[in-house]
Formats: sequence, structure tokens, C-alpha cells
Amino acid sequence: MIGNDIVDLALAKKQSNWQRKGFLDKIFTKNEQDLIYKDINPEVMVWNLWSRKEAAYKIYNRQTNIRGYFPLQLECFYESETLGTVCCNGNFYRTQTTVSSEFIYTIAVTEKDYFIQIKNLDSDAKICKTNAIPFIIDEFTKIAKPVSISHHGRFWKGITIEFNTPVITSSPI
Amino acid sequence: MNKEQTIDELKNIVKPYIVNQEAFDALTVETDFINDLKINSANLVDVILDIEEKYNIVIDNESMERMINVKSAMEIIETKLSERE
Repeated sequence: MIGNDIVDLALAKKQSNWQRKGFLDKIFTKNEQDLIYKDINPEVMVWNLWSRKEAAYKIYNRQTNIRGYFPLQLECFYESETLGTVCCNGNFYRTQTTVSSEFIYTIAVTEKDYFIQIKNLDSDAKICKTNAIPFIIDEFTKIAKPVSISHHGRFWKGITIEFNTPVITSSPI
Repeated sequence: MNKEQTIDELKNIVKPYIVNQEAFDALTVETDFINDLKINSANLVDVILDIEEKYNIVIDNESMERMINVKSAMEIIETKLSERE
């Protein structure tokens, strides 16, 4: 399974004041707050970690059908600006994050092999929803394929997994 | 405190964060903060902090988990207020 989340940094600046009293305590663990305060750009770290939690939550929500607001239970294990794992009640999700000056974008997966099988959707793709969970109907097989959609401010990202494409793994040099 | 009053107060609290005006105008106890009002998930923290400030209550993590629609928000406010008395 896959999940994604994009943060438009300009809009986030307008919408949220992460320095508001109580804000970080409600959504970030002690370890995550340490990462934020130690970073040269705390604001970018806030949204980097937040997008990981959101992307992982989308998978968790599908796997368990549990809907709720529990950001502290989605714990980020930060490896680098781009890589990490999010753990939620014993479930682990690998995350890959892209950081630019305009946005932060995270893709979470249940199996790390999925990263290379991810296909971006066109913004005009026909998205259906059941219980607020999105999918598309494959035009050839007519089978419902799970997708993950994220939209924030100027940015829209939709992804699915392409299982049929032959996978070419690069061998170590 | 009566329910209508709480709904009105809650409407004032969520107003700055809503994206879907139509759903806001038609708000009922069944209205979902994220799916209907399209409140950004990071702004849900602001809604929770605003509720805490307005009613002088503390919303613990367990209660926060359920804070996804008007109905649970009202229940949580009511419970926390009664615990305080």
C-alpha cells in the first residue's frame, strides 16, 4: 500500500503558526521536537515530519479502517532529510521525502520495493471514492486500483502502484 | 449549556480554517471537519487549541483522537466541562 502528502510551504506559512503555544506538543513526540529545534530550519523540519505522518496515516487508515486524529501515534524515525520510517501501533511504513524551496512531498509505502513502482497520475485522472478512500478504475483491466491523492495550495500529486511493469533493479557497482 | 449554543460557538472556532463554505453554512452535528469542511489536517490542531482556550479545558490525546466531527467535538467539550466542575 501507498500514501502520499504534499505541503505547499508558502501556504503552510500562511495557514499555520507552528510556534503557537501547544502546537508542537499536540502533534510531535519529544524526539521529533528535538529534531525540529536542532534543525537550522525548524519550519521546514516541521513540515517534513508532518508530511511523513500524513502519508503514513493514509496507509494506516486503509489497512485498519481506523479514522482519527492521533499524530503522536505516528512516530517518525528520521534517517535523513529524504529517508525514514514511520511507526504506528506496530505498523512500519518506509518514507521518501522530497524537499524543495516551494514544497515538501512524502511518499510512504508498506514495502520499500514499491518506491520504484510508483506511477504519478495525471491531474485529470478520474478518481472515485468509497468511505473517502480514493481509487481509479484501470482502463484495460477494469479493476479498481488504490491511489493516494494529496492537494495543498499550488500543488497536486496523485500516485498509484504499477505492478505490471517489469522491474529493473540496478546492480551494485 | 445548551447544544445550539455549543454549535454556534464551535462554528465560530472553526470558521477561520474552513475551506468548504457550503458545508460550513449547512453545518450540523454530523459535519466532518476534514471530509466536509475540508479543514487542513494541520489546522485541526489549531481548532483543538482554540477549543482548549475558549473553554479553559485540556483535550488529552485520547479525546483528540476522536476530534474529527462536530458531534465528537461537542461531546468532548461537554465531558471536559463536567469533569472540571
